[in-house]
Amino acid sequence: MNYDMEDTQNSAPGSLTANQASKLVAPRKGPDAQSTTKRLQTELMQLMTSPAPGISAFPSADGNLLSWTATIEGPDDTPYAGLTFKLSFAFPPNYPYAAPTVLFKTPIYHPNVDFSGRICLDILKDKWTAAYNIQTVLLSLQSLLGEPNNASPLNGEAAELWDKDPEEFKKKVLGRHRDVDDE
Amino acid sequence: MFQPAATPYSPFSTYGVTPIATFPGFQPSGLDSGGPTLFRDPIFTSVASANTGAFSNNTTTTTAAASQFKMSSHDLEAQAALARDFQPALKGPLVAEKKSSLAITEEYAKADPVYVAKTAALPQKYSHYRPILGDGNCGWRAAGFSYFETLLRLQNRAQIEEEIARMTSLDNLIITVGGFEAWTFEDMVEETTKLLRALAELVPSSPQAAMDLLMQHFNNPEISNAIVYHLRLLASSLLQGSPENYQDFIPDNLGVEGYRKNWLEPVDQEIDHLGMTLLIDVLLKPIGFAVEIVYLDRSEGTQVNSHIMQSQDSNGLPTNPGGPMIHLLYRPSHYDILYKDLPSIPLQPLQAVSEVPRNQNIQVNRAANFTHQHSIQSTPMGDYSQLDLLLCIPGFGLSPQQSHHGFPSQYQSPIDQTYAPSPISSISPISPGTSSATTPSSAALQQSFPSQPPPPSTVTSPTLTSPHPSFPANTSLPIHSHLPPPHRPSLTTHTSLSSDLSSPSSAGSSFRPSKYEWRAAADWAQEGPVQFLTSTFKNSHYNTAHYNNPNFQPEEWSPEADEQQNPRKRLN
Repeated sequence: MNYDMEDTQNSAPGSLTANQASKLVAPRKGPDAQSTTKRLQTELMQLMTSPAPGISAFPSADGNLLSWTATIEGPDDTPYAGLTFKLSFAFPPNYPYAAPTVLFKTPIYHPNVDFSGRICLDILKDKWTAAYNIQTVLLSLQSLLGEPNNASPLNGEAAELWDKDPEEFKKKVLGRHRDVDDE
Repeated sequence: MFQPAATPYSPFSTYGVTPIATFPGFQPSGLDSGGPTLFRDPIFTSVASANTGAFSNNTTTTTAAASQFKMSSHDLEAQAALARDFQPALKGPLVAEKKSSLAITEEYAKADPVYVAKTAALPQKYSHYRPILGDGNCGWRAAGFSYFETLLRLQNRAQIEEEIARMTSLDNLIITVGGFEAWTFEDMVEETTKLLRALAELVPSSPQAAMDLLMQHFNNPEISNAIVYHLRLLASSLLQGSPENYQDFIPDNLGVEGYRKNWLEPVDQEIDHLGMTLLIDVLLKPIGFAVEIVYLDRSEGTQVNSHIMQSQDSNGLPTNPGGPMIHLLYRPSHYDILYKDLPSIPLQPLQAVSEVPRNQNIQVNRAANFTHQHSIQSTPMGDYSQLDLLLCIPGFGLSPQQSHHGFPSQYQSPIDQTYAPSPISSISPISPGTSSATTPSSAALQQSFPSQPPPPSTVTSPTLTSPHPSFPANTSLPIHSHLPPPHRPSLTTHTSLSSDLSSPSSAGSSFRPSKYEWRAAADWAQEGPVQFLTSTFKNSHYNTAHYNNPNFQPEEWSPEADEQQNPRKRLN
């Protein structure tokens, strides 16, 4: 059943095709929806004009606005102080109505990050809101470094050490960290 | 599971060319293509099942069962995980076309008795509903769509333009109170105001195009989700701004901030009652729109419970009584839109029969189309054989008789002039049971009355009945409130009709016999063109005369009754 037909029966065939096209495009990668592009351009502008300390983000070199690379500096007074972490952002075509996929590219020892760099953070999952943006995500991740959620760890050992043996934890953090090349 | 084939309406599709099909005014609603056609449409099956959580459970259980096989020790855990991750198959448009509420009844026909009773009563009050996709935004989308649709219904361009201004000014609330940065949501507000602006442009000239545009926008995920998110931000900002009114209703001790982050702002998070209250308070109450939420749940009772939310003054009285009302149907975890603007369809023919005296009032309006009667009178009697074709259509053949009975005395002289001496009077009382069952068609009628001033197709097409200036004059007839119910003798002993002329009321019959009498007569004869009755005349959406009648009540049409009385048609 073609619902588009019903909805647009009184409009020109051209608009129908356009409407359908945008729906067809939505689920796959490639030419993203116009509003998503516009939104990401605005975000880039915001990050450049009012940068937050300790974080940065920029679209990947290949010119695909749906793929970004970001960096976070480890906050002072945490085991991550002085370290820099790279992350990748992959935006869905219906961003900001769906969360971006964020991964740590730099190996990190953290209770809520697994060894593939996947992050357990509610705002990147079911608590995502369309009012969040790259900057708020990066700021949240930065504070996650200093305040891990040890109730739902991806790295159980790290969660245990965080409370029991800060010294050992810091050693593990430094041992795991290594700079990755720019893509 | 619901089987669409079980609906009593589907046989219509196999009728082929039937007298019904030749009667453009047959549709009971007269305003919309509601009614039986909807049931041939397979859409609502899929939408309905997609929208109903009960159905999706089956899928979950099946999948879970498969995994139990592999990991029997963790079966409960696995099942819980699967249920948590379960994504219902969402099919259909975000906002679907209006459908008859009978679809809901059908959907629940095999459900819990509480649901059966409640859904059976539903269509009597709310004739139509509009399914909204259950993607987690249904409540937001239903209310948002209703907001735009109600603005369209009011057809007030100035009001829509005021709304553009109001929506733009609410940006301040979102920024200063809600704490959102303008650039994160300005694209969303733009979709709202853009749609309002387009609707304002279209409303004065072509409301239908405006409606089409609204449907188009709300079914474009990009636009629709932007508007829905704008509404979420409005509700969230309102809560932040006046927590004292709402914080007692926040669940799980989340606090204002927690509730905003967990219930209002997450994308695709279902609206709960507090969210709906906030949305209504920020979007609909300020412009005097009331919202009735109809709860279809398993609470006791045979009727759905409903709750009206509207702007009230300090005494609890609505500040805009009689203002536009939006109806939302709530089923656990889901919202759809209900409409009661069209005549409802009774489920039980028996109920309809008990209402016969009331229904007579309607029939008054269409009764005396004098122009018609004149032309009949002038018809050569040689066409008598074809005249009884006409008599198959009670609205035609019966009119003289009705006039005799129902008119108050001041109307008598014109009637006498018209009918009393007419040979037709003796013809007209032929009961439908005795008349030929031949299908009348416009063509046949045309042949018999080539010189009739309004084309004979008026018999079948209601479009031409309204222009007659005689209509309004008849609509003020005060006669019916005191009339006793019609009785059968008026059908069978028509010879008495002409003698009743001088005492219309004492005849004990109505202005015209009720259609239910004709149905009864047809029952006796086991055959008859009952399906014509006079629905063509009465239900014409072109006929505005009935609005003038203070006793006007929309006719109620029961498809089941029609079918029962025409078993032969089913075979065609």
